[in-house]
Amino acid sequence: MRTYEVFLKPDGRDGFRHVGSIEAANDELALVMARENYVRRAEGSRLWLVDRTQIVIGDEDFLAPNADKPHRHNDGRMVADRRRRLREDRK
Amino acid sequence: MTVLSESASEYLLAFADDEHLMGQRYTEWIGVAPFLEEDLALASIGQDELGHALMLYAIVAGDDDATIDQLALLRDVDDYRSSWLVEADLPNWEHALIRHWLYDAAEELRWGLVDESTVPGLADVAKRAAQEELYHRRHADALVNALLGVPKSAERLEVALTEVLPLALGLFEAVDGEAEAVTEGVAKAPFHSQRAVWETRVVQRFARIHPGQYTAPDQDRRRRRSPDFAPLMARMREVYDLDPLAVW
Repeated sequence: MRTYEVFLKPDGRDGFRHVGSIEAANDELALVMARENYVRRAEGSRLWLVDRTQIVIGDEDFLAPNADKPHRHNDGRMVADRRRRLREDRK
Repeated sequence: MTVLSESASEYLLAFADDEHLMGQRYTEWIGVAPFLEEDLALASIGQDELGHALMLYAIVAGDDDATIDQLALLRDVDDYRSSWLVEADLPNWEHALIRHWLYDAAEELRWGLVDESTVPGLADVAKRAAQEELYHRRHADALVNALLGVPKSAERLEVALTEVLPLALGLFEAVDGEAEAVTEGVAKAPFHSQRAVWETRVVQRFARIHPGQYTAPDQDRRRRRSPDFAPLMARMREVYDLDPLAVW
């Protein structure tokens, strides 16, 4: 059996969303099973199945160093703080 | 409301009874199918078949709920027209799968008989059901295809096919009033007209494990129910029979 990750796209502008996974012996069986298990009540109008072994994975260790770089976040707070300080200095 | 002729009713009831009991048979796999995904798929397919039965009974009953219940569950045993294939208590999963394949192959053809019917509403039901059958067929075919590739599974399918195939021929037996129903435009042709096409498809699909010659028991669906019918109907009526006067 292979494991497939199931993605559904609802009508309209929303993109594909991961909704779960499914086990099946081959692609065709995965399709018919996914249809009953995930789209029985018209939850989506398009379906993607991705064989789990085909997924390229970036794990937590790989991503962690980027979690601590506030200087890359341009939320304007540093500039605002600096301006506030300058304004107060001028008083 | 149009009142259906006796022959039209007989023809549609035979069709509806097959759909009804087949739907029931699928639902019996809830919770015990070989794997979770299949459990849900079979229950869902069963629901489709029960839906088809309901739509057919509704045409015969003129949309009256009490009459629909009466037709579906409360007729005398002798008044049912189901085929022995759908009545049969089959022992194993592979039997159920073979029945699924054989029945839906026949059902897909059947809807083609009534998709231009003169009976009001029937053509629409036929078109909708035919869409669903495409998927049912694909489901059964995908499973059979995968299992035929595994020698041990293919052996089990072969045993099941040899046992179930003769029963399936009952689907093509004539029902009362069929000739008149065809003349009236209820259906394009009698059930038996599709047997050759169906058998060709069965041979193509199961080529390697097809038993070759086989003969059907004389089912006479107009008059005789198989031994499995009464217990099946008793189960279906179990709750109703507790208190027939209860209002739901």
